[in-house]
Amino acid sequence: MSDKTEKRLISRRSILKSGVATVGLLSASAIIGRPYIARADVAKPDKLTMLYATVEADSDAVKTLLPQFKSDNGIDIVMDTMPYNALQQKVFAELASKSSYYDIVIVDAPWMPAIIDNIAPITDMMLDSTLTSSDFEVTDFIPKAFFDTAVYQPGAAAVHWPNEGDVDPKGIKGAGFEVYGLPIQANALTMSYRKDLFEDAANKSAFQAKYNKPLAVPDTWDDFVDVAKFFTNPGKRIWGTTLMAGAGDYSTDDFKTMLATFGGDGHMINDKFEPVFAGPEGVAALTFYADLINKHKVTPPGTTSATWDTVATEFETGLAAMSMNYHTETLNDSVKGSMDYAMVPKKVQYGPHFGAMMLSVNGFSKNKEWAYRAIQWLTGKAAQSAMLPLQLHPTRRSAYALADKDPIYAQKFGSFYTVLGKSLENAVGRPRLKNYSDVDRTIWVAVNNAARGAAKPEEALKDAAAKVKVQLAQAGYTK
Amino acid sequence: MTTVAAHQEGKALSPPNPASRQINTMGWGLIAPAMLVLLTMSIGPAIYLLLFSLHSEDLLGSSTTFVGLQNYWQVLANPEVWWDASATVLYVALSVSIEFALGLMFALLLNRKMLESNLLAALFILPLGVAPVVSALVFRELLNPVYGWVDYYLQSLGLMGDPVDWLSDPFTAWVSIIALDVWQWTPFVALILLAGLQGIPKEPAEAALVDGAGPVRVFWHVTLPLLRPFIAIALVLRSIEAFKTFANIYVLTSGGPGTSTTVITLDMYRIALQDFNVGAASALGICFLMALSVFMSALLRLLGRNTDILEN
Repeated sequence: MSDKTEKRLISRRSILKSGVATVGLLSASAIIGRPYIARADVAKPDKLTMLYATVEADSDAVKTLLPQFKSDNGIDIVMDTMPYNALQQKVFAELASKSSYYDIVIVDAPWMPAIIDNIAPITDMMLDSTLTSSDFEVTDFIPKAFFDTAVYQPGAAAVHWPNEGDVDPKGIKGAGFEVYGLPIQANALTMSYRKDLFEDAANKSAFQAKYNKPLAVPDTWDDFVDVAKFFTNPGKRIWGTTLMAGAGDYSTDDFKTMLATFGGDGHMINDKFEPVFAGPEGVAALTFYADLINKHKVTPPGTTSATWDTVATEFETGLAAMSMNYHTETLNDSVKGSMDYAMVPKKVQYGPHFGAMMLSVNGFSKNKEWAYRAIQWLTGKAAQSAMLPLQLHPTRRSAYALADKDPIYAQKFGSFYTVLGKSLENAVGRPRLKNYSDVDRTIWVAVNNAARGAAKPEEALKDAAAKVKVQLAQAGYTK
Repeated sequence: MTTVAAHQEGKALSPPNPASRQINTMGWGLIAPAMLVLLTMSIGPAIYLLLFSLHSEDLLGSSTTFVGLQNYWQVLANPEVWWDASATVLYVALSVSIEFALGLMFALLLNRKMLESNLLAALFILPLGVAPVVSALVFRELLNPVYGWVDYYLQSLGLMGDPVDWLSDPFTAWVSIIALDVWQWTPFVALILLAGLQGIPKEPAEAALVDGAGPVRVFWHVTLPLLRPFIAIALVLRSIEAFKTFANIYVLTSGGPGTSTTVITLDMYRIALQDFNVGAASALGICFLMALSVFMSALLRLLGRNTDILEN
């Protein structure tokens, strides 16, 4: 065979290969994750279907807006809601079965590494002026909430968006990342406290006498310990604070807040897949956490089996002077007190844990463009502000600015929105791992063991870090 | 017996006659619905589970690869799984034993001819009607050391000094889990045993009494042996259900403190529905199924052969 013939054959083979590859790519892109191609003549559906979270993302608030959406766009949004525990399984099952039933699905950030290939990227649609309203103002989103929840690198979902600054879809696209949804609800750890106890004259003078400083809502963990000790009086059935040290995700979240505030990396596992929670900052954070329970004894009995609900009940029934949780709280009438909110204290920096949920377009939806328009509408400035009275935790700065200005919100929710907005600007999300539930469990076991004195903080974290390394290797992240 | 023998003799002497073939066809026809249900509801899913366990399943992607026994190795090489399996066996043994002892006691009490017996039996069934998730949530609140009723009344009665955080210590957490299971399932055991007691003929016990046996000897040598088929039913059914317990523990302790109350079903839930590692979860499910089958066979052997009701 001559060189010429061989070259020709190679050339034909190359062409054939290219052709097959092109057809393959086109077929694949037709199914999922395709680059968006604007289509002006996309048929308008009569309805869109949406899978949403019942309580965790405030479905009641969203429901109130759906008639308005229909009036503006002529499309019904049929919303199915599920409680969080069942929601993940439902979302995964829908996507695993490649079902086009739901056009829009609510997605929690930790799920994304596993489902990213089944969610339609929307960056191109965001950049398309025929689809994105001129008053959408993407820069109004709180950057941390947006980047942590919605921006991923295709093919490397574990990597966090490395930059700061305002949201810029063009820059995101240019850096090889994509936007996979629009954040609708952001929950961050905030501190609630009994305002009546802090303003009580007798408490003020007693605290001043004992600690030689004025009684104030603590901004640092050092002050927090003093205040918590001061208010703790088991005989009168009141304790300084609550903690969620039970066996569950909540104690991991408590720990990662502590870790970040003590100067560590609150993500716990960095983007190089190294566990970074067992260093000196982690040990100091967990030691402090366990000391609150065992040494200072400023938490109610039962703290090492406490959950989100338990601590809410404890605070609302007047059993604690301070508490930390992810939502507004209301004191029971029998307590006869008042309350307000503050940032979770810091050691060297703020770093409350946060998790946001986004509305995403199902990769198998037949109405992607209209689904995008719908999520754009639901996460727009007007919608986010309109849902404030029903306690949606917005993801836009403008909504928080509105809550700051309007006295109605202060009257109803105290400083909650101001504090939440500030917390979100300083918050730290989770690591992005397909097997996060495994890693999460390993860490909460360590936190729970240290909190109940079954292991020393250093040993518990060292053991957990070793286990997490194995889990990361099993998931294929490391060798 | 006569029909079978005649059929066998006929088969040896001459070709099968149409009547016997008709009987066979009729027999197969009669068991076909049951076979169909068994195939679709039990055998089919079990085969499907087995196939899953031999593959690495990526539910949310396109890659599903045959991995042989790798999932089994992954599951069985994990010491935590063995620890959780031991905890499961211990939990089943303790809870079912207590339920049997209490159930037998209540059955004997309710078997007496009293006006209150029917009312008590009706009240007794109530725990069975409560969904496990609900009962676990209620227990969780009752056991709260700050505002729960258990600590409050124990303190009020002077039986306890400082409040006990039941769910923070491995021992008391297990006590709580077993107490919940006993509260919920003792009536079930009692009702089966009560049915058994009411079906036992009175003559053997009366004869033993006439012969001078005391109530304890009558119970031990007459009542208990006659009750054995019902005991077998109660223990087998309860053990199977206890091995499958999930909601109670998930809600009450989530497997904590630490991992001390984690049982195999919680592992399966986590691996299958949180990690979505369906292959490994299926492998664990198959191992669980096999272990349960072996255990139940052993239990039946232990209870003796004359469990007529089961054998028939």
